[in-house]
Amino acid sequence: MVLMQIAEPGASENPAEGPRKVGLGIDLGTTNSLIAYFDGEGLSVLPDEKGAASLPSVVHYGQSEVIVGDAALAMAAEHSADTIASAKRFMGKGRAEVSDDGYLEFANEGLAFATTRGPVTPVEVSADILRALASRASLAGFEQLDGVVITVPAYFDDAQRQATRQAAELAGLPVLRLLNEPTAAAVAYGLDSADEGVVAVYDLGGGTFDISILRLERGVFEVLATGGDSGLGGDDFDRLLADHLLAESGLSDLTFGQRRNAIACARGVKELLSEQPSCTVSLDHIVAGAQEVTVERSTLNGLCSELINRSLDACRRCIADAGIEQVDRVVLVGGSTRMPLVREAVATLFGREPLTHIDPDQVVAMGAARQADLLVGNRGKDDLLLLDVIPLSLGVETYGGLVERLVHRNTTIPVVRAQEFTTARDGQTGLLVHVVQGERERVEDCRSLARFELSGIPPMVAGAARILVTFQVDADGLLEVSAKEESTGETTHVVVKPSFGLEDTTIAEMLRAGYENAGADMLARQLTEARVDAEQLITGIQAALDADGDLLDESERDELLVAVVALEAKVDGNDVEAIRAAVEHTGKVSELFAARRMDRSIQQALGGLSLETLEQEVGE
Amino acid sequence: MVEVSVDREAGAPRDYFDLFQLPAEFDLDPEDLSRRFKLLQKQFHPDRFAGKPPAEQRVAAQLSAELNAGFNTLRDEVKRAGFMLERQGIDLKSLEREPVEGDFLLQQIELREAASALLASEQEEANIKAVSALHDSAKGLYDEWLAAFRQAIVEDQVEVAGRAWVKLLYISKLRAELPPLVAAETS
Repeated sequence: MVLMQIAEPGASENPAEGPRKVGLGIDLGTTNSLIAYFDGEGLSVLPDEKGAASLPSVVHYGQSEVIVGDAALAMAAEHSADTIASAKRFMGKGRAEVSDDGYLEFANEGLAFATTRGPVTPVEVSADILRALASRASLAGFEQLDGVVITVPAYFDDAQRQATRQAAELAGLPVLRLLNEPTAAAVAYGLDSADEGVVAVYDLGGGTFDISILRLERGVFEVLATGGDSGLGGDDFDRLLADHLLAESGLSDLTFGQRRNAIACARGVKELLSEQPSCTVSLDHIVAGAQEVTVERSTLNGLCSELINRSLDACRRCIADAGIEQVDRVVLVGGSTRMPLVREAVATLFGREPLTHIDPDQVVAMGAARQADLLVGNRGKDDLLLLDVIPLSLGVETYGGLVERLVHRNTTIPVVRAQEFTTARDGQTGLLVHVVQGERERVEDCRSLARFELSGIPPMVAGAARILVTFQVDADGLLEVSAKEESTGETTHVVVKPSFGLEDTTIAEMLRAGYENAGADMLARQLTEARVDAEQLITGIQAALDADGDLLDESERDELLVAVVALEAKVDGNDVEAIRAAVEHTGKVSELFAARRMDRSIQQALGGLSLETLEQEVGE
Repeated sequence: MVEVSVDREAGAPRDYFDLFQLPAEFDLDPEDLSRRFKLLQKQFHPDRFAGKPPAEQRVAAQLSAELNAGFNTLRDEVKRAGFMLERQGIDLKSLEREPVEGDFLLQQIELREAASALLASEQEEANIKAVSALHDSAKGLYDEWLAAFRQAIVEDQVEVAGRAWVKLLYISKLRAELPPLVAAETS
């Protein structure tokens, strides 16, 4: 561990490292979920004890137990209200935002499913799916999990991303990164092919549609633009086909359970029609005496064409946003891209045959596994870097209910943007900052992410106060906002939390409940972890001082050394919180030093390049 | 709340030419800039600091964000021009508010009227040609003012450069709003 890595680019960072760390990739899908591993050579999906690769994203909440996957799916018919499918569609959403499409029952005002065990939120359902996936890791013989990368649709907004992180936290999984699904797919394909160029990823999953356009150049995968529709997917095809089947069978007034079974039946018909031009189905098992129906592929195509066209419109917008003329490769992701009509439409739009040689159901998890391996610190020979973008613009409400955008969609992350605002009234001492996400001009047409108040503004005439609002979006696409009154330095700082997710305290409580029996173990583990962090930091600072001590003046160096000495004293004690606080403090003090060292290494990194450019110029 | 000034990158203002170790000149090789950007991101992106102490992660994230902002600014001609003015201590927001010559405005209004007439009409051959001609005249204007900016900045005439930059802003906005070019060669 060094404070700043000043190794030659591409050189092995830590050759004396111990065994390979374990980072796994998780595709937390609407319909199916997977977990995959990269061993440095190849990618594999971790199966369950029966050898099944994909886990249906279905959870059954029974009186005595929680069942996930195929077994839950099998119980869906009999216990429809207690069996939750497609929970991903409700992640990070409020009651008012979802249409009650006939097979959901809500427990109360907030968004939770009513089950025999009481209300269950989409975050909890997702956490149960994540736990089931993580158990496959121990089945595969991994004793310790160093971290996971979880994929999300590129079009997921901040609240949906936060909800996904919460689910992982609840499941006790250390999240290295949230990765956009199309980007993950591109990474999986990028492994097989050293080709540089522009790649379009068309991802039509169960519940969401994503399109991303990326450029691979010099080992950097740069997302140029992304778009999509978070409410369009294969499930919609199933529902349309189910309606058609029910109408043709002369059925109406179905119960929740019957309708769900009809949808499941429609899904089967849809999948069959990818293989054969027509098929005959009977809904007799749902309602006795139902007539047989024959469905042609062309009928299914007719039902779905409007939805598919919607996806193509999003593709055209994305091409325009990316500012590119042509695409070199097209990658298909998601089970719904098995439909012949989808493949034809995509091939026509992009003018080339799509790549499909990696299973479209597994490609996302595999790309995530590749990235997880890199992020836990197993640096490979190719060292691919991903530069992703923020999918939706972020802004604040300004005078008259209008949106002032600070970060525009398709901006490469991480990003920091600041803008100055002022007061509208004389003597105004507080300012309400309303943070929104979306592309529309008016606040009511955008998604409201957070509201917070900056108080303590000294009374002044309207327009005299200077309030600096800073938006910071990290590499996960998650937002932090702060507001600062510049004359007093009064600062308010918020991490945007989903308004409809779980409160932090709720999560902490749930985690505590989970660890009830492991209390002492937990404490011991936390103490060990805190000490390791502290020792790493101290060693790093010492090494950095040896290498670049000249970057600090005497008083700066003394300040840093004082912090280090104080930290060393805490490490000898048993107070976890005190060690953490000292680590945090020492870290903060060392930031200036780290920043200067990075500046120095910029010069080193570009040194060779500048010479090369110079030589070119001289040569001309 | 009320907006008061043009958005800017947070933190201590960074000289992006410095950041990429480039001379502070308007003309640059986009390929070279992109190569520098990628080389530095490969070293300082937060992905390279996963599992490192939080303080180091924060500094790296800040630097990575600056690299993104700098790359975005320098690769775009109009943004790069604006940044060069800011480096000279010009406040871009008040520059934008300064009045623009009447004949320039008139010219802009005429082009805009022509554009909206074409937007409303059918895509017939004559119109396709007219759209293409409109793009050409906007591009001509843009090149003209860009040349003016370039010369002024070389000659250290910051105010002249500033006035040229404002024209470039107008023209860029107009160009973005023109009806899209249709490939006329296909017929």
